[in-house]
Amino acid sequence: MNLSIGDVVLPGDRCDEISKIAVKSKVLIGPGLRRESDNVYITKPGILKKRNPNTFWVDSYQKRYIPSRGENIIGTVIQKAGDIFRVDVGGSCPAALSYLSFEGATKKNRPEVQIGDVIYAKMLVASKDMEPELVCVDSHGKKGRLGVLTDGFVFKSSLSLIRKILNPSCPLIDSLKKEWPFEIAAGMNGRIWIKANSMRETIAVGNAILAAEYLSDEDIKSMCNNVASILAGHLS
Amino acid sequence: MKIEPEKLKHHNLKPMKCELNYLSKSDGSSILSQGNTVVLVSVNGPLEIKSAYQSMEKATLEVLFSNKGGKPSVADRFKENVIRQTCESAILGCLFPRTGINITIQELENYGGLVACAVNCTCLALLNSGVAMRHVVAAVTCAVDDVGNLVLDPTHEQIQSSQALMYFVFESSEKNMVTGFTEGKFSEDTYLEALELCRSASDLVFKFYREIVSKYCSVIG
Repeated sequence: MNLSIGDVVLPGDRCDEISKIAVKSKVLIGPGLRRESDNVYITKPGILKKRNPNTFWVDSYQKRYIPSRGENIIGTVIQKAGDIFRVDVGGSCPAALSYLSFEGATKKNRPEVQIGDVIYAKMLVASKDMEPELVCVDSHGKKGRLGVLTDGFVFKSSLSLIRKILNPSCPLIDSLKKEWPFEIAAGMNGRIWIKANSMRETIAVGNAILAAEYLSDEDIKSMCNNVASILAGHLS
Repeated sequence: MKIEPEKLKHHNLKPMKCELNYLSKSDGSSILSQGNTVVLVSVNGPLEIKSAYQSMEKATLEVLFSNKGGKPSVADRFKENVIRQTCESAILGCLFPRTGINITIQELENYGGLVACAVNCTCLALLNSGVAMRHVVAAVTCAVDDVGNLVLDPTHEQIQSSQALMYFVFESSEKNMVTGFTEGKFSEDTYLEALELCRSASDLVFKFYREIVSKYCSVIG
Protein backbone atom coordinates (compact mmCIF):
# COMPACT_ATOMS: atom_id res chain seq x y z
CA MET A 1 0.00 0.00 0.00
CA ASN A 2 1.28 3.40 -0.96
CA LEU A 3 1.04 6.15 1.63
CA SER A 4 1.28 9.84 0.93
CA ILE A 5 1.16 12.96 3.11
CA GLY A 6 -2.30 13.75 4.45
CA ASP A 7 -3.51 10.14 4.25
CA VAL A 8 -5.31 8.37 7.04
CA VAL A 9 -2.89 5.78 8.42
CA LEU A 10 -3.26 2.79 10.73
CA PRO A 11 -0.62 1.03 12.86
CA GLY A 12 1.35 -1.48 10.79
CA ASP A 13 1.25 0.53 7.55
CA ARG A 14 4.67 0.84 5.92
CA CYS A 15 5.73 4.23 4.62
CA ASP A 16 8.09 3.70 1.69
CA GLU A 17 8.15 7.39 0.82
CA ILE A 18 10.04 8.28 4.01
CA SER A 19 12.58 5.49 3.59
CA LYS A 20 13.19 6.59 -0.02
CA ILE A 21 13.97 10.16 1.09
CA ALA A 22 16.10 8.83 3.95
CA VAL A 23 18.51 7.25 1.47
CA LYS A 24 19.43 10.68 0.09
CA SER A 25 19.08 13.03 3.03
CA LYS A 26 18.44 13.28 6.76
CA VAL A 27 14.88 12.61 7.91
CA LEU A 28 13.27 13.34 11.28
CA ILE A 29 10.45 11.04 12.33
CA GLY A 30 8.16 12.17 15.11
CA PRO A 31 5.32 10.65 17.13
CA GLY A 32 3.45 7.77 15.55
CA LEU A 33 6.35 6.65 13.38
CA ARG A 34 8.93 3.97 14.06
CA ARG A 35 11.98 2.74 12.23
CA GLU A 36 12.58 -0.98 11.90
CA SER A 37 15.81 -1.75 9.99
CA ASP A 38 15.37 0.15 6.68
CA ASN A 39 11.61 0.59 6.81
CA VAL A 40 9.42 3.14 8.55
CA TYR A 41 6.21 1.86 10.13
CA ILE A 42 3.19 3.70 11.51
CA THR A 43 2.38 3.05 15.19
CA LYS A 44 -0.63 5.33 15.76
CA PRO A 45 -3.88 5.88 13.88
CA GLY A 46 -4.25 9.35 12.43
CA ILE A 47 -3.15 11.59 9.60
CA LEU A 48 0.38 11.51 8.22
CA LYS A 49 1.88 15.01 8.25
CA LYS A 50 5.07 16.54 6.87
CA ARG A 51 6.95 19.75 7.49
CA ASN A 52 9.86 20.86 5.35
CA PRO A 53 12.57 19.81 5.33
CA ASN A 54 11.80 16.13 5.85
CA THR A 55 10.09 16.06 9.23
CA PHE A 56 7.29 13.52 9.48
CA TRP A 57 4.76 12.67 12.18
CA VAL A 58 1.26 11.32 12.71
CA ASP A 59 -1.47 13.56 14.11
CA SER A 60 -3.58 11.34 16.33
CA TYR A 61 -6.22 11.48 19.02
CA GLN A 62 -5.03 10.69 22.53
CA LYS A 63 -6.07 11.34 26.11
CA ARG A 64 -3.28 9.73 28.14
CA TYR A 65 -0.11 11.81 28.43
CA ILE A 66 3.29 10.25 27.75
CA PRO A 67 6.06 12.61 28.95
CA SER A 68 8.36 13.97 26.32
CA ARG A 69 11.30 16.35 26.66
CA GLY A 70 10.86 20.09 26.31
CA GLU A 71 7.07 20.21 26.64
CA ASN A 72 5.34 22.70 28.92
CA ILE A 73 2.92 20.93 31.23
CA ILE A 74 0.53 21.68 34.08
CA GLY A 75 0.75 19.43 37.13
CA THR A 76 -0.41 19.24 40.73
CA VAL A 77 2.02 18.85 43.63
CA ILE A 78 1.11 15.63 45.42
CA GLN A 79 4.06 15.10 47.76
CA LYS A 80 7.04 16.87 49.30
CA ALA A 81 9.91 14.39 49.56
CA GLY A 82 13.14 15.88 50.97
CA ASP A 83 14.54 18.20 48.33
CA ILE A 84 12.06 17.39 45.57
CA PHE A 85 8.37 17.82 44.96
CA ARG A 86 6.40 15.04 43.31
CA VAL A 87 4.10 16.41 40.66
CA ASP A 88 1.20 14.54 39.10
CA VAL A 89 1.29 15.25 35.37
CA GLY A 90 -1.19 12.59 34.23
CA GLY A 91 1.50 10.22 33.00
CA SER A 92 2.26 6.71 34.22
CA CYS A 93 4.31 7.97 37.16
CA PRO A 94 4.63 11.31 38.98
CA ALA A 95 7.37 13.71 37.86
CA ALA A 96 10.12 15.07 40.12
CA LEU A 97 10.60 18.82 40.59
CA SER A 98 13.64 19.93 42.57
CA TYR A 99 13.11 22.93 44.87
CA LEU A 100 16.34 24.40 43.46
CA SER A 101 14.86 24.61 39.97
CA PHE A 102 12.86 27.77 40.72
CA GLU A 103 14.07 31.27 39.96
CA GLY A 104 16.24 32.64 42.75
CA ALA A 105 15.94 29.50 44.88
CA THR A 106 18.87 28.53 47.10
CA LYS A 107 19.33 25.96 49.86
CA LYS A 108 18.39 28.68 52.37
CA ASN A 109 15.71 30.35 50.31
CA ARG A 110 13.15 27.66 49.49
CA PRO A 111 10.29 28.42 47.11
CA GLU A 112 6.84 28.56 48.61
CA VAL A 113 5.14 25.51 47.17
CA GLN A 114 2.44 23.61 49.03
CA ILE A 115 0.86 20.23 48.37
CA GLY A 116 -2.08 20.75 46.02
CA ASP A 117 -0.53 23.72 44.21
CA VAL A 118 -0.85 23.81 40.42
CA ILE A 119 2.47 24.17 38.63
CA TYR A 120 3.28 25.23 35.08
CA ALA A 121 6.63 23.63 34.30
CA LYS A 122 8.87 22.34 31.54
CA MET A 123 9.84 18.68 31.05
CA LEU A 124 13.62 18.52 31.41
CA VAL A 125 14.10 14.76 31.41
CA ALA A 126 11.59 12.39 29.90
CA SER A 127 12.64 8.88 29.07
CA LYS A 128 10.70 5.65 29.16
CA ASP A 129 13.16 4.15 31.65
CA MET A 130 13.41 7.04 34.10
CA GLU A 131 11.22 9.17 36.29
CA PRO A 132 10.38 12.38 34.43
CA GLU A 133 11.93 15.59 35.78
CA LEU A 134 10.47 19.08 35.67
CA VAL A 135 12.00 22.56 35.94
CA CYS A 136 10.42 25.96 36.53
CA VAL A 137 13.30 27.99 35.04
CA ASP A 138 14.79 28.32 31.57
CA SER A 139 18.48 27.80 30.77
CA HIS A 140 19.27 31.39 31.87
CA GLY A 141 17.81 30.77 35.33
CA LYS A 142 14.80 33.01 34.64
CA LYS A 143 11.31 31.79 35.39
CA GLY A 144 9.61 33.38 32.39
CA ARG A 145 5.99 32.24 32.56
CA LEU A 146 6.73 29.06 34.49
CA GLY A 147 6.00 28.55 38.17
CA VAL A 148 3.08 28.15 40.55
CA LEU A 149 -0.32 29.11 39.11
CA THR A 150 -2.39 30.86 41.77
CA ASP A 151 -6.19 30.99 41.78
CA GLY A 152 -7.88 30.10 38.51
CA PHE A 153 -9.48 26.87 37.41
CA VAL A 154 -7.94 23.68 35.96
CA PHE A 155 -9.71 21.19 33.74
CA LYS A 156 -8.72 18.24 31.58
CA SER A 157 -9.08 17.70 27.86
CA SER A 158 -7.67 15.46 25.17
CA LEU A 159 -4.07 16.01 24.03
CA SER A 160 -5.17 16.72 20.47
CA LEU A 161 -7.39 19.59 21.68
CA ILE A 162 -4.36 21.20 23.38
CA ARG A 163 -2.35 20.94 20.17
CA LYS A 164 -5.31 22.37 18.26
CA ILE A 165 -5.75 25.48 20.43
CA LEU A 166 -1.99 26.10 20.65
CA ASN A 167 -1.68 26.00 16.86
CA PRO A 168 -1.05 29.62 15.75
CA SER A 169 -3.58 29.18 12.93
CA CYS A 170 -6.40 28.28 15.35
CA PRO A 171 -8.76 31.28 15.78
CA LEU A 172 -10.14 30.21 19.19
CA ILE A 173 -7.92 32.16 21.59
CA ASP A 174 -7.77 35.15 19.23
CA SER A 175 -11.58 35.37 19.06
CA LEU A 176 -12.05 34.84 22.80
CA LYS A 177 -9.49 37.41 23.94
CA LYS A 178 -11.30 40.13 21.99
CA GLU A 179 -14.50 39.50 23.97
CA TRP A 180 -13.31 39.67 27.59
CA PRO A 181 -9.95 39.50 29.45
CA PHE A 182 -8.64 36.23 30.88
CA GLU A 183 -5.39 34.37 31.54
CA ILE A 184 -4.78 30.92 30.15
CA ALA A 185 -2.07 28.25 30.41
CA ALA A 186 -2.34 25.10 28.32
CA GLY A 187 -0.22 22.11 29.32
CA MET A 188 0.73 19.59 26.66
CA ASN A 189 -0.40 16.92 29.14
CA GLY A 190 -4.04 17.73 28.48
CA ARG A 191 -4.67 20.21 31.29
CA ILE A 192 -5.79 23.79 30.88
CA TRP A 193 -5.65 26.49 33.55
CA ILE A 194 -7.80 29.59 33.15
CA LYS A 195 -8.34 32.68 35.26
CA ALA A 196 -10.93 35.34 34.46
CA ASN A 197 -12.52 38.18 36.41
CA SER A 198 -15.62 36.25 37.42
CA MET A 199 -16.78 32.67 37.79
CA ARG A 200 -19.19 33.11 34.88
CA GLU A 201 -16.44 34.24 32.53
CA THR A 202 -14.16 31.40 33.64
CA ILE A 203 -16.82 28.82 32.87
CA ALA A 204 -17.53 30.49 29.52
CA VAL A 205 -13.86 30.21 28.48
CA GLY A 206 -13.73 26.58 29.63
CA ASN A 207 -16.87 25.60 27.77
CA ALA A 208 -15.76 27.43 24.62
CA ILE A 209 -12.46 25.51 24.62
CA LEU A 210 -14.10 22.12 25.17
CA ALA A 211 -16.70 22.87 22.50
CA ALA A 212 -13.96 23.70 19.97
CA GLU A 213 -12.68 20.11 19.87
CA TYR A 214 -14.80 18.93 16.93
CA LEU A 215 -15.41 22.28 15.21
CA SER A 216 -13.87 23.79 12.10
CA ASP A 217 -12.15 27.20 12.18
CA GLU A 218 -15.26 28.96 10.82
CA ASP A 219 -17.54 27.29 13.36
CA ILE A 220 -15.14 28.21 16.18
CA LYS A 221 -15.46 31.92 15.30
CA SER A 222 -19.26 31.85 15.30
CA MET A 223 -19.30 29.75 18.49
CA CYS A 224 -17.09 32.37 20.22
CA ASN A 225 -19.51 35.11 19.14
CA ASN A 226 -22.40 33.08 20.53
CA VAL A 227 -20.69 32.55 23.86
CA ALA A 228 -19.87 36.26 24.09
CA SER A 229 -23.44 37.35 23.33
CA ILE A 230 -24.90 34.90 25.86
CA LEU A 231 -22.44 36.16 28.48
CA ALA A 232 -23.21 39.81 27.70
CA GLY A 233 -26.95 39.10 27.84
CA HIS A 234 -26.71 37.65 31.32
CA LEU A 235 -24.49 40.40 32.65
CA SER A 236 -26.65 43.29 31.56
CA MET B 1 -18.88 8.31 14.37
CA LYS B 2 -21.38 5.72 13.10
CA ILE B 3 -20.94 3.78 9.90
CA GLU B 4 -23.50 2.28 7.56
CA PRO B 5 -23.48 -1.47 6.95
CA GLU B 6 -20.84 -2.06 4.34
CA LYS B 7 -21.56 -3.06 0.80
CA LEU B 8 -19.68 -6.31 0.67
CA LYS B 9 -18.50 -7.72 -2.60
CA HIS B 10 -17.12 -11.22 -2.28
CA HIS B 11 -17.66 -12.21 1.32
CA ASN B 12 -20.43 -11.46 3.69
CA LEU B 13 -19.63 -10.44 7.21
CA LYS B 14 -22.43 -9.39 9.52
CA PRO B 15 -22.92 -5.59 9.42
CA MET B 16 -20.55 -3.78 11.77
CA LYS B 17 -21.43 -0.61 13.61
CA CYS B 18 -19.07 1.18 15.91
CA GLU B 19 -18.79 4.24 18.10
CA LEU B 20 -15.43 5.38 19.45
CA ASN B 21 -14.89 7.41 22.62
CA TYR B 22 -18.13 5.98 23.99
CA LEU B 23 -16.97 6.45 27.60
CA SER B 24 -15.81 9.93 28.58
CA LYS B 25 -13.46 9.02 31.44
CA SER B 26 -11.40 6.17 30.00
CA ASP B 27 -8.34 6.78 27.81
CA GLY B 28 -9.86 4.87 24.94
CA SER B 29 -13.19 3.13 24.50
CA SER B 30 -15.37 1.71 21.79
CA ILE B 31 -18.68 -0.06 21.40
CA LEU B 32 -18.98 -2.45 18.46
CA SER B 33 -21.86 -4.51 17.12
CA GLN B 34 -21.34 -7.32 14.64
CA GLY B 35 -24.81 -8.42 13.68
CA ASN B 36 -26.63 -8.75 16.98
CA THR B 37 -23.51 -9.34 19.08
CA VAL B 38 -22.53 -6.22 21.00
CA VAL B 39 -19.38 -5.59 23.06
CA LEU B 40 -18.12 -2.52 24.94
CA VAL B 41 -14.40 -2.11 25.63
CA SER B 42 -12.53 0.42 27.74
CA VAL B 43 -8.74 0.87 27.63
CA ASN B 44 -6.73 2.69 30.28
CA GLY B 45 -3.02 3.19 30.15
CA PRO B 46 -0.10 3.29 30.24
CA LEU B 47 -0.51 3.79 33.99
CA GLU B 48 1.21 3.00 37.25
CA ILE B 49 0.73 -0.52 38.62
CA LYS B 50 1.85 -2.52 41.65
CA SER B 51 5.56 -3.30 41.53
CA ALA B 52 4.79 -7.03 41.81
CA TYR B 53 3.18 -6.95 38.35
CA GLN B 54 5.68 -4.59 36.73
CA SER B 55 7.89 -5.91 33.96
CA MET B 56 11.28 -4.34 33.21
CA GLU B 57 10.99 -5.02 29.48
CA LYS B 58 7.46 -4.11 28.52
CA ALA B 59 4.04 -2.92 29.57
CA THR B 60 1.94 -5.41 31.53
CA LEU B 61 -1.43 -6.07 29.99
CA GLU B 62 -4.40 -6.72 32.24
CA VAL B 63 -7.58 -7.91 30.59
CA LEU B 64 -10.89 -8.21 32.40
CA PHE B 65 -13.82 -9.83 30.67
CA SER B 66 -17.21 -9.48 32.31
CA ASN B 67 -20.10 -11.43 30.86
CA LYS B 68 -23.72 -10.35 30.77
CA GLY B 69 -24.62 -12.06 34.05
CA GLY B 70 -21.63 -10.58 35.86
CA LYS B 71 -20.59 -13.91 37.44
CA PRO B 72 -16.93 -14.75 36.72
CA SER B 73 -16.40 -18.12 35.09
CA VAL B 74 -13.61 -20.29 33.70
CA ALA B 75 -14.79 -19.61 30.12
CA ASP B 76 -14.24 -15.90 30.74
CA ARG B 77 -10.66 -16.50 31.93
CA PHE B 78 -10.06 -18.36 28.67
CA LYS B 79 -11.36 -15.41 26.64
CA GLU B 80 -9.23 -13.02 28.70
CA ASN B 81 -6.15 -15.09 27.91
CA VAL B 82 -6.89 -15.21 24.19
CA ILE B 83 -7.41 -11.47 24.05
CA ARG B 84 -4.40 -10.67 26.25
CA GLN B 85 -2.03 -12.71 24.14
CA THR B 86 -3.46 -11.29 20.92
CA CYS B 87 -3.06 -7.72 22.19
CA GLU B 88 0.44 -8.35 23.52
CA SER B 89 1.54 -9.13 19.97
CA ALA B 90 -0.14 -5.97 18.67
CA ILE B 91 0.90 -3.40 21.29
CA LEU B 92 4.44 -1.97 21.26
CA GLY B 93 4.80 -2.64 24.97
CA CYS B 94 8.57 -2.05 24.91
CA LEU B 95 7.90 1.70 24.65
CA PHE B 96 6.22 1.75 28.08
CA PRO B 97 8.24 -0.42 30.47
CA ARG B 98 7.12 -0.80 34.12
CA THR B 99 3.62 0.38 33.30
CA GLY B 100 0.29 -1.34 32.95
CA ILE B 101 -2.40 -1.19 30.32
CA ASN B 102 -5.88 -2.12 31.51
CA ILE B 103 -8.45 -3.50 29.12
CA THR B 104 -12.00 -4.02 30.37
CA ILE B 105 -14.45 -5.85 28.14
CA GLN B 106 -18.17 -5.89 28.80
CA GLU B 107 -20.36 -8.32 26.92
CA LEU B 108 -23.70 -6.70 26.12
CA GLU B 109 -25.35 -9.14 23.70
CA ASN B 110 -24.15 -12.53 22.50
CA TYR B 111 -25.62 -13.97 19.31
CA GLY B 112 -22.52 -15.86 18.16
CA GLY B 113 -18.97 -14.76 17.38
CA LEU B 114 -18.53 -13.08 20.75
CA VAL B 115 -14.75 -13.58 20.94
CA ALA B 116 -14.25 -12.21 17.42
CA CYS B 117 -16.36 -9.19 18.25
CA ALA B 118 -14.45 -8.67 21.53
CA VAL B 119 -11.07 -8.81 19.74
CA ASN B 120 -12.17 -6.35 17.06
CA CYS B 121 -13.72 -4.02 19.63
CA THR B 122 -10.56 -4.15 21.76
CA CYS B 123 -8.49 -3.24 18.71
CA LEU B 124 -10.74 -0.24 18.01
CA ALA B 125 -10.52 0.88 21.65
CA LEU B 126 -6.72 0.60 21.48
CA LEU B 127 -6.73 2.70 18.30
CA ASN B 128 -8.86 5.27 20.10
CA SER B 129 -6.53 5.34 23.12
CA GLY B 130 -3.51 6.15 20.93
CA VAL B 131 -1.30 3.43 22.43
CA ALA B 132 1.60 2.69 20.06
CA MET B 133 0.91 -0.50 18.15
CA ARG B 134 2.93 -2.78 15.90
CA HIS B 135 -0.11 -3.56 13.73
CA VAL B 136 -3.87 -3.82 14.01
CA VAL B 137 -5.64 -7.15 14.36
CA ALA B 138 -8.89 -8.47 12.95
CA ALA B 139 -10.78 -11.55 14.14
CA VAL B 140 -13.05 -13.60 11.90
CA THR B 141 -15.29 -16.54 12.83
CA CYS B 142 -16.03 -19.49 10.58
CA ALA B 143 -18.34 -22.48 11.13
CA VAL B 144 -18.51 -25.89 9.47
CA ASP B 145 -22.15 -26.88 8.99
CA ASP B 146 -23.55 -30.44 9.27
CA VAL B 147 -22.78 -31.31 5.63
CA GLY B 148 -19.23 -29.93 5.78
CA ASN B 149 -19.67 -26.55 4.09
CA LEU B 150 -17.93 -23.49 5.44
CA VAL B 151 -20.07 -20.67 6.80
CA LEU B 152 -18.29 -17.34 7.24
CA ASP B 153 -19.30 -15.26 10.26
CA PRO B 154 -22.19 -17.60 11.27
CA THR B 155 -25.38 -16.46 12.94
CA HIS B 156 -26.64 -17.83 16.25
CA GLU B 157 -28.80 -20.49 14.53
CA GLN B 158 -25.99 -21.56 12.21
CA ILE B 159 -23.65 -22.03 15.18
CA GLN B 160 -26.23 -24.21 16.96
CA SER B 161 -26.43 -26.58 13.99
CA SER B 162 -22.70 -26.55 13.11
CA GLN B 163 -20.27 -29.37 13.81
CA ALA B 164 -17.21 -27.18 14.21
CA LEU B 165 -16.41 -23.56 14.96
CA MET B 166 -13.12 -21.78 14.20
CA TYR B 167 -11.77 -18.42 15.24
CA PHE B 168 -8.85 -16.74 13.50
CA VAL B 169 -7.09 -13.46 14.24
CA PHE B 170 -4.90 -11.82 11.58
CA GLU B 171 -2.49 -8.90 11.72
CA SER B 172 -2.66 -6.10 9.18
CA SER B 173 0.86 -5.81 7.78
CA GLU B 174 1.57 -9.33 6.45
CA LYS B 175 -1.89 -10.89 7.01
CA ASN B 176 -0.29 -13.58 9.17
CA MET B 177 -2.41 -15.46 11.66
CA VAL B 178 -1.68 -14.36 15.24
CA THR B 179 -4.32 -16.37 17.09
CA GLY B 180 -6.40 -19.35 16.12
CA PHE B 181 -8.55 -21.76 18.07
CA THR B 182 -11.26 -24.24 17.21
CA GLU B 183 -14.12 -26.27 18.65
CA GLY B 184 -15.56 -29.50 17.23
CA LYS B 185 -14.18 -31.87 14.62
CA PHE B 186 -13.11 -31.22 11.03
CA SER B 187 -10.53 -32.39 8.49
CA GLU B 188 -7.16 -30.75 7.91
CA ASP B 189 -8.21 -29.56 4.45
CA THR B 190 -11.31 -27.91 5.88
CA TYR B 191 -9.13 -26.10 8.38
CA LEU B 192 -6.77 -24.77 5.71
CA GLU B 193 -9.68 -23.77 3.50
CA ALA B 194 -11.32 -21.93 6.40
CA LEU B 195 -8.02 -20.22 7.21
CA GLU B 196 -7.74 -18.81 3.67
CA LEU B 197 -11.41 -17.81 3.61
CA CYS B 198 -11.06 -15.93 6.89
CA ARG B 199 -7.77 -14.38 5.80
CA SER B 200 -9.40 -12.79 2.77
CA ALA B 201 -12.45 -11.79 4.83
CA SER B 202 -10.20 -10.02 7.35
CA ASP B 203 -9.61 -7.36 4.67
CA LEU B 204 -13.19 -6.22 5.23
CA VAL B 205 -12.50 -5.69 8.93
CA PHE B 206 -9.31 -3.72 8.19
CA LYS B 207 -11.22 -1.62 5.68
CA PHE B 208 -13.85 -0.95 8.34
CA TYR B 209 -11.11 0.19 10.80
CA ARG B 210 -9.75 2.60 8.20
CA GLU B 211 -13.21 4.06 7.55
CA ILE B 212 -13.82 4.58 11.26
CA VAL B 213 -10.41 6.24 11.76
CA SER B 214 -10.83 8.49 8.70
CA LYS B 215 -14.24 9.60 10.01
CA TYR B 216 -12.86 10.79 13.30
CA CYS B 217 -9.64 12.15 11.82
CA SER B 218 -11.67 14.52 9.67
CA VAL B 219 -13.20 16.14 12.76
CA ILE B 220 -10.21 16.44 15.10
CA GLY B 221 -8.34 18.40 12.42
